[in-house]
Amino acid sequence: MAKVVEARKLAKRYKGAVEALREVSFEVDENEFFIIMGPSGCGKSTLLRIIAGILDYDSGELYIKGENMKNVPPHRRDVSMMLENFALFPHMTVYENIAFGLRMLGKDKDEIDREVRKMTRLLHIEGLEDRMPNEISGGQRQRVALARALIIRPSVLLLDEPLSHVDYQLQRKFAEMLKEVHREIGGVFMLTTHDQEHGLSLADRMLIMNSGLVEQIGTPTQIYNDPQTLFAARFVGELNTFAGTVEEVSPDAVWVKTEFGTFKARHPAAENARDLVGRRVAYIVRPEHVRVAREDSGQDNRLSVYFNTYYYFGHFLELVFSADAQTRVKSVISANEPFTAKVGEQLTLTWPYTKATIVSKPSVVEGVDIEELIYGK
Amino acid sequence: MKIPDFLVKTYIAIIILIIYLPLVFVVLLSFKSGANISFPIERFTLDWYLKPPTGYEYAAYVSLFYDRQFFAALRNSFTVSIVVALMAMVLVTTTALAFRRRMAGRNFLFYLFLLGFLTPGVTVGLGVNFLFRLLNLPFSFWSAALINVIYVVPFGLILMMARFDPNLLFYEQAAAVLKAPPLMIFRRITLPLIIYEVISAAILGFLLSWGEVIRTQFAMKGIGTLSTFINTQLGVNPLTPKWYAAGTLISAVSFLGFLVFAYLLTKTVRQQA
Amino acid sequence: MSARPPKIMNYILLLPGLLVIAFFLVIPLLLTVVISFMQEFSFTNPIFTVENYIEFFTSPQTPTILANTFGMSLLASLVALLVGYPAAYFMAFRIKSIKTRNLIISLLLVPFLIDWNVRTIAWIPILGESGIVNYLLQYFNIVHQPVSLLFSRWTLIIIWLQSNLLFMIFPIYLALSRIDPDVINAARVLKSPPHRVFYEIIFKLSLPGVIVGLTFVFVNTLGDYITPSLWAGGIQVLGLSVANFAANFVWPYAATQSTVLILISLAVLVILFKIVDIKKLVE
Ligand SMILES: Nc1ncnc2c1ncn2[C@@H]1O[C@H](COP(=O)(O)OP(=O)(O)OP(=O)(O)O)[C@@H](O)[C@H]1O
Ligand SMILES: [Mg+2]
Repeated sequence: MAKVVEARKLAKRYKGAVEALREVSFEVDENEFFIIMGPSGCGKSTLLRIIAGILDYDSGELYIKGENMKNVPPHRRDVSMMLENFALFPHMTVYENIAFGLRMLGKDKDEIDREVRKMTRLLHIEGLEDRMPNEISGGQRQRVALARALIIRPSVLLLDEPLSHVDYQLQRKFAEMLKEVHREIGGVFMLTTHDQEHGLSLADRMLIMNSGLVEQIGTPTQIYNDPQTLFAARFVGELNTFAGTVEEVSPDAVWVKTEFGTFKARHPAAENARDLVGRRVAYIVRPEHVRVAREDSGQDNRLSVYFNTYYYFGHFLELVFSADAQTRVKSVISANEPFTAKVGEQLTLTWPYTKATIVSKPSVVEGVDIEELIYGK
Repeated sequence: MKIPDFLVKTYIAIIILIIYLPLVFVVLLSFKSGANISFPIERFTLDWYLKPPTGYEYAAYVSLFYDRQFFAALRNSFTVSIVVALMAMVLVTTTALAFRRRMAGRNFLFYLFLLGFLTPGVTVGLGVNFLFRLLNLPFSFWSAALINVIYVVPFGLILMMARFDPNLLFYEQAAAVLKAPPLMIFRRITLPLIIYEVISAAILGFLLSWGEVIRTQFAMKGIGTLSTFINTQLGVNPLTPKWYAAGTLISAVSFLGFLVFAYLLTKTVRQQA
Repeated sequence: MSARPPKIMNYILLLPGLLVIAFFLVIPLLLTVVISFMQEFSFTNPIFTVENYIEFFTSPQTPTILANTFGMSLLASLVALLVGYPAAYFMAFRIKSIKTRNLIISLLLVPFLIDWNVRTIAWIPILGESGIVNYLLQYFNIVHQPVSLLFSRWTLIIIWLQSNLLFMIFPIYLALSRIDPDVINAARVLKSPPHRVFYEIIFKLSLPGVIVGLTFVFVNTLGDYITPSLWAGGIQVLGLSVANFAANFVWPYAATQSTVLILISLAVLVILFKIVDIKKLVE
């Protein structure tokens, strides 16, 4: 079965500027909610614009439903897009904005009317039809932009940062709405964001981008648990990282010598055991797996730290410790778990080796030093 | 599908050419020997500018620099235009500063000022003529200047309002908080920040009144400014290269003024954030 | 205490401007309207009448004059739109350098600043019977007798175009350059082929500029009788008629025609202000 979207080594350089896309390849399946995540300026918008056809690429190939998109203008592609700042037509009412795509397709008035009504009901924007875009709120604008892009029922819906530009409460609400709409209407949704939380919670699969390159493609759990680069690991969640050298390898575990002692970790799925010994790697463990040791609970890894401070988030608590003057270690525990400690109190942290892993590559971008990525410049 | 670049450039170039070509011919003809306006130009001469008169000659054949009326009109032109420049500078500045704030009737007043440019010159000229006759006021370069000022102010206003530093009010308020009296604020804060716009308004006033015929004609008696003088002359005298020589000089002043104006437009005191 | 200067200050700032406007615009125009209803220009023994209007509207010349006045200004506005729109479009979308754009705008300003007489006589060496065009036509044996290009209506349109193009191009350019490129992109993605993107988005969003441009050129040419009159025996327009009657001291009748001219311009302006907010183009 043909993939719905297929990109092969897409590259794009803006005139006189940086290479926005260096080499991007991926495939998107039928009905997938595909999320493209990466820091600001990594090329997310560039990629979506190329898929939409409003920007030309320099080299590589792009297929939509098996058809090569070279020189196919945007209006002939089975694609629709919600642009970064919504870009509502300022001279048209909400109704006219939503109806625009169908009108361009030459649909008759009754059908347009029916479809617009369906959309406004689906996205809870009834009653706004006669207002102008500058007479509605940011959250409403967001939904009108979605309705306008959705109404032509494209095989591929591109959403460029649909969650930015509104406050946090609305972001969450809109994210949930997006997921429901996707379930109801189907098709491929491709969404960009730089927010890990939205990315992880919405995606069927996700692509982590960095400086115009692909760091990793996979399901949220794959990327969260088995990151292939330190950059990808960092980008999807908080991380405790120690630089170290691999000392010993067994079929299911590795031992890494760090300046805080030797830590044991799960053998990383993708790496070849023999190659690892002697390599400089990043030893990583996520804060939710790190616990304060009550007594000697027989865990594999132990680290002596001083209690520093904590942050209360309502449903969880983030504890911050110092391993030495520069190195902070974080632990996340449920807010219901009892915890008392004085600032400066010496404690021992532990974590199971099955929850820790190593990455040997800092990033797919050349010239990034792993120590630098861990300790900063 | 897309219009090729060279067509875009050609189109713009043709427009500029059509606009400037006639002006080039004005200059060329002013150096033409012989009294008729015809092509080709066989010989170039400076006669129309500075050949001494030989005796009794038609006004149209006296060379420009020996035409006393020309110099009288030239002096009038400078007087009127300089007065317009100074008045425009003051009026545009005060009005533009007032328009920054919300106030009752702001829209109405703004449109009222715009009318100064949008009302046909002949109707304004006639009306002012009526008023002066009714009140028995004398026409002078003052009346000529004032009737031109209402035409100039809207241009200056639009220019200034479009270019005002959006933070100007904040700076003024900051100074007011520090207990600076209003005049001091104007001198030390406001004026230095808008100085280029103020000078631009003056130059615009000079330029727009410099070539204006209709309004000036109605509000000035006697020989008038250069433009009204030439207009009258063209009605009664044959067209000789002399008038092209006069046109060249008038246009040279306009063009020089324009260069200064364009230069000022590229300047701004505003700091880049 | 508030640091804001009192409101009074604002009105004081407005006062000089308002005084000049009142004395040299508002009162004169109102006076014109009053005099247009008088038998003689005399306030010592005023006799009011509508004779002047009856005379104007029944005069056999009036239809021609009105048609000329309206027709030529309308034609000039439309020609300016046709010529100016592509230029404004190219400047907003095809010329990337802001410096070049500003240079073009500045260059368009010059002919407007040039003396009215010069603007007019400048075309004689080009289009006159012994002008360069006729010279070339005869040189290449295209015609054998000089053709009269000069005293035609199109010459008037070209001269008006030369000095008014800025007022067409600039507002349209302003409106076009304010269009968010992503709004255009949105239309392209939403199944709009290029010609419909142009009409539905670009043209419609530039309409305020188009209307301002049309009005400015229309009103600006409406009052210009110098250019039509310099083409000796040229085209009778209302402004010229006003000037002629004024020159012959037929005050009330000149006032009547002037009033009609004022009303025409005002009507056009009111329509303009109803449709678009000029201030939006400024602020
Ligand atoms: N029109 C342009 N001309 C030149 N450079 C551009 C242009 N648009 C984007 N860039 C550059 O290309 C790179 C990628 O831009 P892009 O907009 O795709 O990033 P992004 O990932 O969408 O960022 P953000 O999260 O901030 O939206 C950036 O370095 C940007 O500065
Ligand atoms: Mg982006």
